[in-house]
Amino acid sequence: MKLSALLERKNIVVPILNLDKQPVIEELLDAACATGKVTDRAKALQALMDREKLGSTGLEKGLAIPHARTNAVYGIVLAVGIAPDGVDFQAADGEFSNLFFLLIASEAMTTTYIQVLALIARLSQQESFRRNLLAARTPGEVLDIVNKAEE
Amino acid sequence: MESDRLVSKILLFIDGSEGCIYAAKFGIALAKVTGAELKALYVVNTNLLRQLEKARIFVKVEEIDFGRDLEEDGRRYLRHITELALRKEVSIETELLKGNVHELVIQEIKKWNADLLIIGELEPILSKQDTFHDEAEIIFRKAHCSVLVIKNPERVDQIYEELS
Repeated sequence: MKLSALLERKNIVVPILNLDKQPVIEELLDAACATGKVTDRAKALQALMDREKLGSTGLEKGLAIPHARTNAVYGIVLAVGIAPDGVDFQAADGEFSNLFFLLIASEAMTTTYIQVLALIARLSQQESFRRNLLAARTPGEVLDIVNKAEE
Repeated sequence: MESDRLVSKILLFIDGSEGCIYAAKFGIALAKVTGAELKALYVVNTNLLRQLEKARIFVKVEEIDFGRDLEEDGRRYLRHITELALRKEVSIETELLKGNVHELVIQEIKKWNADLLIIGELEPILSKQDTFHDEAEIIFRKAHCSVLVIKNPERVDQIYEELS
């Protein structure tokens, strides 16, 4: 599984326009819905927000990975967003988050879901990958960066 | 081990990827042709779940939930591969383990005395400092027996379907 296989221009948000947690998640979810794989937006949003209640998915170094399993989607859906000015996502290191990977998958996709989460973590460990994404100004540029990183 | 056989004991590494199904189909075909013993092994990657929890991507309750669901997934994959083998009248043994995937697969190769390991296509290499590494790649490098990496799914499907 490659991230690039899950990404199209329509599920990439550059720049993210909202400044608060739930609106940012909704903005990314709308991009995910553009894939046509989200069958119930309200249920998907609920699953994502329920997951946030367990603990923020804002990690370190500006990375946030809001994620949830729910049968409100068909298969697995990824949306990527860049917020150059950062968003207060209650991240683990107290810093603003500016690089978002929203992942939602059906209950039956456990193995793939974990593999994709691990792949996001793998790629995001690379400083050059994060830096290049943050400099991206269009969905096309984001796609090129992800493709190049996975070549 | 019977020395007059091309291969005697084939171990299939099943990881829940699409590629592992093709690896299994090829292994079934090879076992049918050579008369080799066949075993499918699935390892619940509790190590990766712990890493995801350590990286704060998962909270503890998710680590537990996903561990349980992966185990169910593993059992489902092994049942499916057993059906694929039986459909071609090939005997197969299965085993599900939990822990560090590459360590347990390497151990099983030795313990079962496998002389061929079959795996699906490898994930892309992303970084030398890769914490969330591809387990199959490590197994490929560390296995003490020969390792066959299965590609070309269409051809494998054709080989499997043409088996009598």
